[in-house]
Amino acid sequence: MKLEELIQAIDAQVLQPGSERGTEIARVFAGDKISALLERAGPGTMLVTSLANTQLACVAELMDCPVLCLVDGTEPEPKLLEAAARCETAVVVCVLDMFETCGRLHRRLYGDNFRRS
Amino acid sequence: MITSCFSITGGKFDEAGSASRRLKEQLKQIGVDGQIMRRIMIAAYEAEMNVVIHAVKGNLWVRFDDRRFNMEVVDQGPGITDLNLAMKPGFSTASAEAKQLGFGAGMGLPNIKKASDQFEVDSQVGKGTRVRSTIYLETQSVEQPTGQGLFVQAELCVGCLDCLKACPARALRVWNQRPLILSALCIECTACIEVCRRGVFEIPDTEINQSEESVSEVHTLVIPRAFLTQFGSKIPPRVVLAALRNLGFKDIRFTEEWERELRRVVRRYAAEQKQHPVISPICPAVISLIESEFPSLIPQVAPFMTPIQAAVEAWILCSATFVAACPSQYTLLERADLSGRLRIVNPAQLSARILPLLKARTETAPTVQKQSVQPSRSGKNGQAVLEAWGVNNVVEILEKTEKGLAGDFQVLELGCCETGCYGTPVFEENPYLAQKRWSASGLERLRPVKAVPIKSPYKARTGMRLDADMSKAIEKLARIEELTAGLPGRDCGACGAPSCASLAEDIVLERYPGLECLVS
Repeated sequence: MKLEELIQAIDAQVLQPGSERGTEIARVFAGDKISALLERAGPGTMLVTSLANTQLACVAELMDCPVLCLVDGTEPEPKLLEAAARCETAVVVCVLDMFETCGRLHRRLYGDNFRRS
Repeated sequence: MITSCFSITGGKFDEAGSASRRLKEQLKQIGVDGQIMRRIMIAAYEAEMNVVIHAVKGNLWVRFDDRRFNMEVVDQGPGITDLNLAMKPGFSTASAEAKQLGFGAGMGLPNIKKASDQFEVDSQVGKGTRVRSTIYLETQSVEQPTGQGLFVQAELCVGCLDCLKACPARALRVWNQRPLILSALCIECTACIEVCRRGVFEIPDTEINQSEESVSEVHTLVIPRAFLTQFGSKIPPRVVLAALRNLGFKDIRFTEEWERELRRVVRRYAAEQKQHPVISPICPAVISLIESEFPSLIPQVAPFMTPIQAAVEAWILCSATFVAACPSQYTLLERADLSGRLRIVNPAQLSARILPLLKARTETAPTVQKQSVQPSRSGKNGQAVLEAWGVNNVVEILEKTEKGLAGDFQVLELGCCETGCYGTPVFEENPYLAQKRWSASGLERLRPVKAVPIKSPYKARTGMRLDADMSKAIEKLARIEELTAGLPGRDCGACGAPSCASLAEDIVLERYPGLECLVS
């Protein structure tokens, strides 16, 4: 699914555009532990988190992850946006909480059928 | 082979990840991609963050070729009190600051282990921690080849075939005046180096290919003391020692420090054992010989590391330069040095560097005084210790031990070279002269060190399998036996194989085209 469609589904604001707005997203992984994000991140993965520090960009860069989604309207550290720009990772923020964000993304990606990504 | 070192500063979360990012750039250049890159990045980033979170500073060392990626992350920090606990998912001692940033989930070490094909963590409380990871870039067997400690200059060979007869492991062939080592059989003793008058076999020259930031840290040199006795009667060991210090080595240690400690602990260990003799792992080539040719004796080998391995263990947290006195030491150092953090030099390289310094400092050597240099034949409390040198003696004694004919000795201290490392053919001086020169030098002081128990048991080597498929291997074995029976049995070596049975095996396994018996 195109990143654009997922951004619309959660009413997110794009703080830092990635390499292409038409990026294909196949999976979403949500978490607040860097180790867990690192293990699950990869090409075609959107990481959803309430963290907002520069290490998120580092994880995305190392694992070729195209987009970071911050929940709860979290304001990112300016250095996170700089680092994300350098490695062409998109950063979006939405005001919804983690549960609601994940629910909407899941529905959009997989419909009403339960499917573990 | 590419070796790199990236420095990591503890506590600097803003800069964290830069070592892993730089590493990724390097790996992309050689075409590492996909799942393998993921695994390497997980291991590297987790290890780097461990340094940032817990330590003052550290280095991420990597060494890789097209087959494997080796990484060592060494830090100066508080160390880990309980390694088992640290390996438990969820256990963390990270600070509140680190936890606020999303670290401290207690998944660091478990994640590195999961991403690695081989993983090891060592720690010294109050000093630091070393994490090692190996990730294979291509599928390969777990068996580690030997023979890598020997470099063959085939163009020097005149086809005299002396090496064929000297090799106790029947690992050599000379085809078309070109010697070839069958690495699965080679035990890395020094027999071929010793016997070859043309200098075909030698320890490889090591490429010194470290990044600048690492070089300043290399300041300890570990050498066999025989090295100091190689410069003739007019240059005594202490002058050589001074010249080595002038090269910039602040500290110089002798492998004999670990050898002496090993002798002590093995003798104590032997006194507690019911089965005798206990074989002391003094010489790595003897261990290799036992693993290949005398596997039934493996339970009798004392479970300690060889002196050179124990010496490496003393530098788990910092860098050092090691002089390899023989191919087997070279191989062990290569294996221990997963990341290129240690420097391995061959004695000739080091000699070449200090010769100009020595020429300027020639002086009259003290007269060698009469004193006994005979090694003791018995340990404490009249313990029967048999020391024996030379690969032929070693083979004979191991054969007798296998038959139960050496039970009157408690400990066997066996070495493939005459008088131990003094006798390695890498050194030119006569071993007895060298040994005497050392004992007269007054430099006998050896510092106390620790013997190190082995981490995994010594185990039999499978050697050369005739075929991966057992039924085909049986067929091949039958053909080898049939062929051998038809050969003259003179084991003359004219065909380039050390024996008629070896020739039959070479023919069946098609190791070289056009092989045949030149006599029958």
